[in-house]
Amino acid sequence: MEPSKTLVSAEGVEKWFGRRKILDRIDLSVTSGEVVVLIGSSGSGKTTFLRCINHLEKIEAGRITVNGFLIGYRDRRGRLVEDREANIARQRRDVGMVFQRFNLFANLNVLDNISIAPIRVRGEPRDAAIIRARALLARVGLADKEAAYPASLSGGQQQRVAIARALAMQPAVMLFDEPTSALDPEMVGEVLAVMRDLANEGMTMIIVTHEMGFARQVAHRIVVMDAGRIVESGLPDQVFGDPQHSKTRALLKAVLH
Amino acid sequence: MHFDWPYFWHQLLEPNGAFLEGLWLTILISIAGQVIGLALGLPIALARRATAPFLTYPARLYIFMFRGTPLLVQIVFIYTGLAAAGILRFQDWHFGAFTLAGNVQAGILALGLNEAAYMAEIFRAGVDAVDRGQIEAAKSLGMPPSMTLRHIVLPQALRIVLLPIGNQFNIMLKNSTLVSIIGVSEMLLVTETINSATFRTFELYSVLALYFLLLTSVWSIVMHWLELHMDRRPDHITAPTVDTALALTEA
Repeated sequence: MEPSKTLVSAEGVEKWFGRRKILDRIDLSVTSGEVVVLIGSSGSGKTTFLRCINHLEKIEAGRITVNGFLIGYRDRRGRLVEDREANIARQRRDVGMVFQRFNLFANLNVLDNISIAPIRVRGEPRDAAIIRARALLARVGLADKEAAYPASLSGGQQQRVAIARALAMQPAVMLFDEPTSALDPEMVGEVLAVMRDLANEGMTMIIVTHEMGFARQVAHRIVVMDAGRIVESGLPDQVFGDPQHSKTRALLKAVLH
Repeated sequence: MHFDWPYFWHQLLEPNGAFLEGLWLTILISIAGQVIGLALGLPIALARRATAPFLTYPARLYIFMFRGTPLLVQIVFIYTGLAAAGILRFQDWHFGAFTLAGNVQAGILALGLNEAAYMAEIFRAGVDAVDRGQIEAAKSLGMPPSMTLRHIVLPQALRIVLLPIGNQFNIMLKNSTLVSIIGVSEMLLVTETINSATFRTFELYSVLALYFLLLTSVWSIVMHWLELHMDRRPDHITAPTVDTALALTEA
């Protein structure tokens, strides 16, 4: 196995909404191929932190890098200033994101949803992008749905298409923001199965979820957040089996009864 | 009061040439004004939504002025005011056998500029009504703002604004009568001219009203067909469209 290198790095990240501190000096580094699951009660800042990684949220202090490149900001004589939109757009190509509410493009069919960014953003030839989009659809088990529009798909199907859409940009890391929280219970499994396959194939993943069973099976590391801070992190068996922090114990007690 | 039925039926079923020309002029002016309104409305809406002061403030001023003053005043101002100030004098245009008179041009321009202010607000509301999640998804895939606007936001916004735009054109058809004030011989002015010779006011205005009902009915059928067509399309966006469209219509 090649030596693991740091892919995503957050140092001292702070985020404020007005006078409320949402993220408080977050430090986290994720190595290539690692699957990190963020857990925490609602309002703990885990989703906000995830959104900072591709600069859907601004940060007030600290820095985030992906593949060594600063995200969202430019270093101007030691001070960080927000980058131009076009540059931020380029930085986001390496970071795939899957949203709680799928956010498939409502005006495009499944195949166009998956192929639009490779064609428009990366300038891939249309034919090649379509072939890859079909392969990705087959991989998430929806080869027969390429002409369907999002509104006609179930939540589970939409989320699998959304995963395929993010993968089509061949990102270095995939962010999952509570990908099963908006799903009917019977559809959770199909989405988690796709994510499990991805993890087994060595994709670097940062996942915010309340699916503790899944987290314990798939994660290489569990990170527990509370009130905008990381209060505990470690191997799944360690965090679930012998939680150190009182907040972790309270959280696990609440969700695992 | 005596209502002259034979005269009414005659005017309704066998309108004279001048009235028919007025009808065509009403249709021409309304469509041309609407096209100008649509063409200017979108860029004004985008400027209005921009954060840059040199874009948003001129757009806000434009909307403020054109929505805040009577259309009738704007028509007179554009036709006679611009000429009096020495800014623009409308000349007749000749295209072969066809002539577009100066006052007709001024009327179309005034209706179009006024319409653009309303279109801008409708487009703006339409763009704002597109789910934020759509824009975030586009961002997360590395799309720059212009690409997101063109391929994701505008196609969805146009679907949302279809109904209020149709409603605006209905208003446009009737507002076109106001250009009679600068002597454009559309249906109202022709009717008024005939009236001043015959004094059959009630009969003539009944005919005029029925012709407008005909125009707005035809337009309603077109709109109904368009909506059915959209509803049948597989990408029909169900949830927000109806409510937002109603809200926009009332705006």
